[in-house]
Amino acid sequence: MISKILIVDDSPVARKMLINSIPKDKGYEIFEATNGQEGVAKYQELNPDLVFMDLTMPVLDGYKATAKIIELDKNAIIIVTTADIQPKSISNVMELGAFTLLKKPAKADSIVDAIEKVELKLANK
Amino acid sequence: MESKAGEIISQEERDILQELMNIAFGNATADLAQVIDIYVQLSVPDIQVVAINKLPDYLKDAINSDSKSSIVEQKFWGSFQGSGLLVFPSGSGMDLLALLHEKESEEEPSNKVPMDLIEKGGLLEISNILIGACIGKFSELLGTFVTYSPPQVFHGNSDECESFINGFNPSQTAIVMKTVFDFQDKNVSGFLLILTGYESLDWLRKALHDFLGSYE
Repeated sequence: MISKILIVDDSPVARKMLINSIPKDKGYEIFEATNGQEGVAKYQELNPDLVFMDLTMPVLDGYKATAKIIELDKNAIIIVTTADIQPKSISNVMELGAFTLLKKPAKADSIVDAIEKVELKLANK
Repeated sequence: MESKAGEIISQEERDILQELMNIAFGNATADLAQVIDIYVQLSVPDIQVVAINKLPDYLKDAINSDSKSSIVEQKFWGSFQGSGLLVFPSGSGMDLLALLHEKESEEEPSNKVPMDLIEKGGLLEISNILIGACIGKFSELLGTFVTYSPPQVFHGNSDECESFINGFNPSQTAIVMKTVFDFQDKNVSGFLLILTGYESLDWLRKALHDFLGSYE
């Protein structure tokens, strides 16, 4: 079951849009990081059940942050939310071990659907 | 969030513009990847409000007045209006054209077509995708549509470039959205500027808040 969600995105607007699309009635604790480096540090500190990860970020991009998090925890569940939808970007990030990729701006129903799939995966563990 | 007195746009409005530019350019590069086998390394867009009288200097600095710079400019019209500028500094536009026409060159010797025509055609091909798709997506996200004037190609330090830069009304203020891109493994980089002036500002502010409001 998902308890903690970490959102890693340099854009305050993207974080706000995502937070507003995550169901409020599930009691999820939501945490935020503003770049990949901060995201990796918060992952280690908080051990969230789910990470939403942007790709194009300063300091440390989402590819490297995803790789680091999966290196730290091979069971980490990372949903990539990105505007970079080039085929190579998608294949790169899926090869790194991302759970799925949502194209920005992600609609609320696609976010809810992705979260439900994560809940299902965790329930079948 | 209201703009503070004297501010053209608020911090929140800048943040929304930055995210929209990120999304719009991301879409444009995906479109480009469908046409040529290329991977574009994206960067975080930069949003600036260029002060009165500073736009010509800003553009001169950005374009670098380099005679080897290849520039495509395309105006767009509608509730949201301005110019899209695709700039390939220091001759990298020619490297990109070599990529674009790799296959054609194998089939047809390049000496049949003058180099300047090949360059112009290739730049127009790229600008149609990058400028058109980016501005088109940007407009779509803000619930409007724009029409485009035919693009023009020129080089930095040319009369056309000078004329374009000096064509801006120095009494106006512009919002400049810049995104730098790098064609990975191909040694080609460039940037896209979207300039919009004071005449779109009221509409733009409202559209930005409507966009964010749709997620609340």
